[in-house]
Amino acid sequence: MLAFCSVSAFPLYVRWIWACSVLAQLLVLALLLLKGNFRKLPFFTTYVGLNLCQAALIYIMLTYWHPGNNSSTDRIVSWVSEAATLVVQALATTELLRLVLNPYRGIWGLAWRILAGISSVVVIFVVIDALRNFDWAIVVADRGYHLTFATAVIVWLLFIRYYAVVVPPAYKLLLGGFCFYSCMTILINTVIQAIWYRNNPYMEPVWQAVTIMSFAIVQVVWAAALRRPLPVEAPRQNVDSSSLYFGVSPVINEQLRLLNERLMRLWKLEERPH
Amino acid sequence: MSSVLLLLGFVGVLLLALLAWVLRDPRKFANPDDDLASKEELGRHHVTYFPQVRQAIGAEDFAFLASRGLPKLTNRVRKERRRIALAYLACLRADFLKLWRLARVIASMSPQVGAAQEFARLRLGLAFSLRYEIIRIKFFFGIAPLPELGSLSEVVSRLSVRLETAMKNLGESAALASKLTSSLHDGRGLDTP
Repeated sequence: MLAFCSVSAFPLYVRWIWACSVLAQLLVLALLLLKGNFRKLPFFTTYVGLNLCQAALIYIMLTYWHPGNNSSTDRIVSWVSEAATLVVQALATTELLRLVLNPYRGIWGLAWRILAGISSVVVIFVVIDALRNFDWAIVVADRGYHLTFATAVIVWLLFIRYYAVVVPPAYKLLLGGFCFYSCMTILINTVIQAIWYRNNPYMEPVWQAVTIMSFAIVQVVWAAALRRPLPVEAPRQNVDSSSLYFGVSPVINEQLRLLNERLMRLWKLEERPH
Repeated sequence: MSSVLLLLGFVGVLLLALLAWVLRDPRKFANPDDDLASKEELGRHHVTYFPQVRQAIGAEDFAFLASRGLPKLTNRVRKERRRIALAYLACLRADFLKLWRLARVIASMSPQVGAAQEFARLRLGLAFSLRYEIIRIKFFFGIAPLPELGSLSEVVSRLSVRLETAMKNLGESAALASKLTSSLHDGRGLDTP
């Protein structure tokens, strides 16, 4: 996460926040391994491990390899490692959603179709934004990823709420953590881009500090969620065929439509002058 | 600041607010007035009380009181009976929400779900809630259009009967029954839309 903007010349307070964040990540990894949750969440465990590897790589680069040198190689290494963690983040989130929605095949199938449509719209918006801000292309791309990611996760969570799917609190916290961090990244990138200019010397440390801090908060929430072994999956409660749904659902919809029409007539009747 | 940045900032805040809303426990924040569980346990539908409500807000009583030259009493009775009608309207909504939620539970358990059906029901639910609120406000200030209220009750009643028959036919699925019971009794989904 420290590679977010630049890997050189971190002020002391940024290093402290970073150290706290790394400690929190180590705690999350330890909980995943000790409580046996890594078996259930292999991608999530990989994500946490990859973040730690990224932190170690950047630390070595910063301290021993190119200390004080803000070279293009540093930037490339930082952003490539960031891209890798973002890909694994998407996989870890899908893994969590899959665990939650596994017994609900119909909802899973419907949500995927809707999500593909919504994500396409967001991606188009991001591409247009990136083309308009070529100087800020990497920042815009990073924000675009988080925008797409946060929108997708929230759409999933709305689905889960709408269909009253029971989600164990631990999964809620893990998904919420991912989404919170993405929302914060969108806000931080936007505010920084709007308020500061590129060559402002205070821009990068503040940017790094708030970004790492929001990530550290997420780690603490995850540690709380993972302090106990994850719940055992609920047995499948699906009905065996879709005939129930396709038999009853149109009847309900027709009656609800009729009810709405009657309500509309009631409304119109009231609108008439007495 | 460009308009795109403003929009992005707004979207960021909106997403955070939405996240907080979707992550909260609906049972913790459920309105006690909307708690259908206790009403459902009674195993009866509010539409069955329509004849009594019809009598309570019927024009005959008001006409009689007015003809006896009791304007104050007429107004008081009208107010009280309007309150009864409003409570009845709220109960109709409760019946509607119960059925709406039942449909969602059926959808969540089906191995295949039709997007068109789901969107249609979502749209109907939203439209019903909006109209209900408008009518409730109008009902509060205006005169009760009784025949229409009656037809509204009939629709809810018919829908309940149909659903009960459908569910009876599916009684062999123990998992379905347990899921429906738990979903209907834990009060979830009442705050949607």
